[in-house]
Amino acid sequence: METEKNTKKRFGKVTFLVLTGIISVFIIYYSIMSMISPVRKMEEIKKEFGVKTTDKNGVDQQIIKDSSYLKLLKEKAFLQSRIVMAESDSIYVTLNLADSTANLEISGVVVHKAKMKEVKTSKILLKGNENAILSMLATPFSISHAIATIKKEPVMIKMAPKDTSEYKPDIMPDTSITEPVNYILEMNDGIRIYVYQDENVKLNDRISHFTFDIKDKLRDTWSALKSVAVFKVPEYHPFIKIRLPRTDAKIIYRAIPKNGQIAVFR
Amino acid sequence: MEQKSWIRKAFSVFSRFVLLFICTILVTLALILFVIYGVPVLMEWAPMQKSEILNNQELKKEPVYKKQLGLLTKDVQRFSLKYNGYTSGQSYIVINTTDNRFSLYTNKNLIREGSCSTGSYIMLQASSGNKKWIFKTPRGKYWIHGKKTNPVWKRPDWSFVEEGSKIPSPNDDSRFEYGVLGDYALTLGDGYMIHGTIYKRFLGMPVTHGCVRLNDDDLKVVYNTLNIGSKVYIF
Repeated sequence: METEKNTKKRFGKVTFLVLTGIISVFIIYYSIMSMISPVRKMEEIKKEFGVKTTDKNGVDQQIIKDSSYLKLLKEKAFLQSRIVMAESDSIYVTLNLADSTANLEISGVVVHKAKMKEVKTSKILLKGNENAILSMLATPFSISHAIATIKKEPVMIKMAPKDTSEYKPDIMPDTSITEPVNYILEMNDGIRIYVYQDENVKLNDRISHFTFDIKDKLRDTWSALKSVAVFKVPEYHPFIKIRLPRTDAKIIYRAIPKNGQIAVFR
Repeated sequence: MEQKSWIRKAFSVFSRFVLLFICTILVTLALILFVIYGVPVLMEWAPMQKSEILNNQELKKEPVYKKQLGLLTKDVQRFSLKYNGYTSGQSYIVINTTDNRFSLYTNKNLIREGSCSTGSYIMLQASSGNKKWIFKTPRGKYWIHGKKTNPVWKRPDWSFVEEGSKIPSPNDDSRFEYGVLGDYALTLGDGYMIHGTIYKRFLGMPVTHGCVRLNDDDLKVVYNTLNIGSKVYIF
């Protein structure tokens, strides 16, 4: 009786230890794989956009690290990007992270200006290889898809009356409805731009922000778990998170085309 | 006595089970929170080779450096000039369809702004057949195709469908309405116009069938400022 009890206890302990071990190993493995992903992304960016110089320690190598040179290169990259977009005749967005402005432009004309209230950028875009990042920013990003809490086109369906007796003139639209505005614009090269409304006054706004954020995190976690399960490094999405006044955030989201373009200056 | 010990045993097993259950829940929750919130933070801590930025005064004296910097400065100036050239020095109007506001510019200076009405985003479905119309103001770059005084509105088919009346022939008298578009109209092509309105209380709201409505005073200024070919930016 006593030995049976001991065996049961030992079995319980072993099971507990094995389970803890498995979970710990998985967590460590998952964390390491996740930490590799931004490094790998940076390598990809470097490979695609990095400067290739033949002399390792020569003047050329030093010039591309010079602060004045990089400052000018930054300006050039932003201008190049804006010119490409201006020539497309479409509506586009320019994000100037240095002076915290988000502009809506059409053919080089600024049609709407918004002041960002908060900017957060992923480390890769801030501290990654300067030359590679700048040459990446020299071409505008294109939106591949967007997730939002508001409709792009708030279409309402109305059935036409069968005859004049059924006709009722339109009533005044309700402009007091202020739905929370949060959205993610995913770019073709994996960069994500998160736009959150600055006003989080009402409980509804806070709940909407929280659920919107957690849904995004769950989507990312699920996709990372799937990659890790087949021993693949999960995909890393460099991000820019900005807060804008609700009306500005709404204007930008509604105005920018589905596959619209964005230029970033940082 | 025996019954008491049995109860104690049962209670002990139950409390252990509850404790185990709570521990499992807590550990699972901690794991989920770590994976969802902790790992993204770890990702941002990932070791990355920091980009080296120098400010070497010796380098600045090198002729190669001066040449490279000169070329880059020229590029920036050239691109900057090109970009600034996109904003016309002539008059243009900007229409914000989300807020239903307009801004009028001359020589790159704002000369007037105010409320307007733009498309309602109503999709009208005919009661018979599959015909649909969506009443939205198109976004993008347009220009003034024509200017009219005392414009007459030639009612399109949807205008009759919307009221539930029969669609008349293309040049039927019932198609022509006088005085509803205000004193002036500026055409943008494809049937879209900037015009006046008799529904002034709706200004600042999305209520139109796609045209841009202005109040009488604003319309007069816009009409007198914009010429045929002037740019109209709608977003």
